[in-house]
Amino acid sequence: MSEQSTPGTGTRSDVMISLRDVSKRYSGADAEAVRPLSIDIERGEFLVLVGPSGCGKTTTLRMINRLVEPSGGEIWVDGKNATRVDADELRRHIGYVIQQVGLLPHMTIGENVGLVPKLLGWGKDRIRQRVTELLDLVGLDPDTYRSRYPKQLSGGQQQRVGVARALAADPPVMLMDEPFGAIDPITRGHLQDEFLKLQARIRKTIVFVTHDIDEALRLGDRIAIFDENARLAQLATPLEILTNPADDFVRSFIGDGAALRRLALLRVGDLPAVPGVGIRDGVEVEPDETVSAVLEKVLAAGSDSAVVRGRGSLTVQDMLLATAVRDESAVAT
Amino acid sequence: MTRVLTTRGDAAPRSSASAGTTGDAPRSSPIVPLVAALLVAGTLIYIKTADLDAIETRSLAIGELLVRLAEHVQLVAVSTVVVVALGVPLGILLSRQAAGPLQAPVLAVANAGQAIPSIGILVLLALLYDVGFAMAVVSLVVYALLPVLRNTMVGLRQVDRSIIDAARGMGMGSRRILFTVELPLAVPVMLAGIRIALILNVGVATLATYTNAGGLGDLIERGIVFYRMPILLSGCLLTIALALLVDWLAGVAESRLRPRGL
Repeated sequence: MSEQSTPGTGTRSDVMISLRDVSKRYSGADAEAVRPLSIDIERGEFLVLVGPSGCGKTTTLRMINRLVEPSGGEIWVDGKNATRVDADELRRHIGYVIQQVGLLPHMTIGENVGLVPKLLGWGKDRIRQRVTELLDLVGLDPDTYRSRYPKQLSGGQQQRVGVARALAADPPVMLMDEPFGAIDPITRGHLQDEFLKLQARIRKTIVFVTHDIDEALRLGDRIAIFDENARLAQLATPLEILTNPADDFVRSFIGDGAALRRLALLRVGDLPAVPGVGIRDGVEVEPDETVSAVLEKVLAAGSDSAVVRGRGSLTVQDMLLATAVRDESAVAT
Repeated sequence: MTRVLTTRGDAAPRSSASAGTTGDAPRSSPIVPLVAALLVAGTLIYIKTADLDAIETRSLAIGELLVRLAEHVQLVAVSTVVVVALGVPLGILLSRQAAGPLQAPVLAVANAGQAIPSIGILVLLALLYDVGFAMAVVSLVVYALLPVLRNTMVGLRQVDRSIIDAARGMGMGSRRILFTVELPLAVPVMLAGIRIALILNVGVATLATYTNAGGLGDLIERGIVFYRMPILLSGCLLTIALALLVDWLAGVAESRLRPRGL
């Protein structure tokens, strides 16, 4: 398969977080909560840890900012050995978002967002300006929300504040523990979309925990799938995982419909289109649209083909078969 | 907002202070202080108009009443301050993780303190040491420590773990978390405990008379000993009025001191 879509130049110095044989065993427990695990996460990468409950994904996340102390191994963050530095200082430079949001209920939204800058000793005016900027960034009107209290906000709004708070001191790394898990499905979808757009702008290195494989496939540049015994079953791009699941566990965790889900990850620009024009009534689409979105448009228009701008035309069958061919070649190897 | 609380008579019924609930602080209804004022006025009018003998007249002179009242208020104030000064720090210490094994024994002692009748402690202290103000305060403190101690611990324990987790994750140290997160969030429960201690003290301070520390209990005791109903009645009514007033003030303080946003 061709090059991956992870950003950066790909040199080793671009590793933002490096887990080296990191493990966790709680005293009194037989099995390790996290088995020796080594992952390099690149600058600007969105890594999703996914798996059933008890697979160690949250423990792994919490070891990065040392809310859980690793039993073994080393964690390097931004070129520093995180296991050696002052834990509080480390955490002030890592954004942290959790499912329960955890806003301080007796402080206003503005005070909540300004917490970490205040810990870092920023001046009042600078904090105020930053809060305004961040509330704008997450889509909450600063004038309206700054002086409200958390309980006056909906769950979705609270989590926007949670994200803003984590971004406050502009940390290079964000840790997110099922941030959208307690939010109703419709709002969750909106927040996921918005968050992807936000990430495209701010390019943080994100480690994101979820138990929802669809959320993982939708958000991650790469996905690490753990099984219930805390074994890392596969670490790969979403497309690779759907196309080429490493074992039966991954296959069952993905569930049904892998082939169809893949259509939502492939872009029409990547498919071999027939160059030239002369298509009767093809629907015009952009190369960066996903195959499933284009299929939807084509079918909705009652047509049977699409014209990809600058590339050529694709029939419905081209689109379906193109993914199928990839599948076969993948299985064959 | 400013004119609502003054004249409307439909204020919500006040919850009993001794229930120790953490529910919404009651509105500062004007009914309770009104009742207290009526009780005092009624008592004074009764004293002025009733046909009193020499003992009664002497015991119920305004000057005498004020002295007893002042003694009583002083007993309550001093013992409550001591209870808070002991109970709150002790409760904080016991709720720290390192103090886990100490929790049960200390709570058992505080429980025993409340189980033992104050009159027993008073008499015991008088027999072993001395009589007087200090002994009365000691027995009041022993009796009223439990609610403050327990509510401090409960108040700290009921703070949502995820809020503390988020605070740690942002890089707040444990001391900063205690003072800027845990204690403010525990304030409503702690205040409820202090209010209970205050009310207990108003009642139990009537026993201070047996250790020669004065207070409104003097009137009650004298009324019983000399079989003078007017004295007994005045002592009782004034104690009730004081208890109502103190509870009302505590309620006002409770709703004022409650952090906004909770």
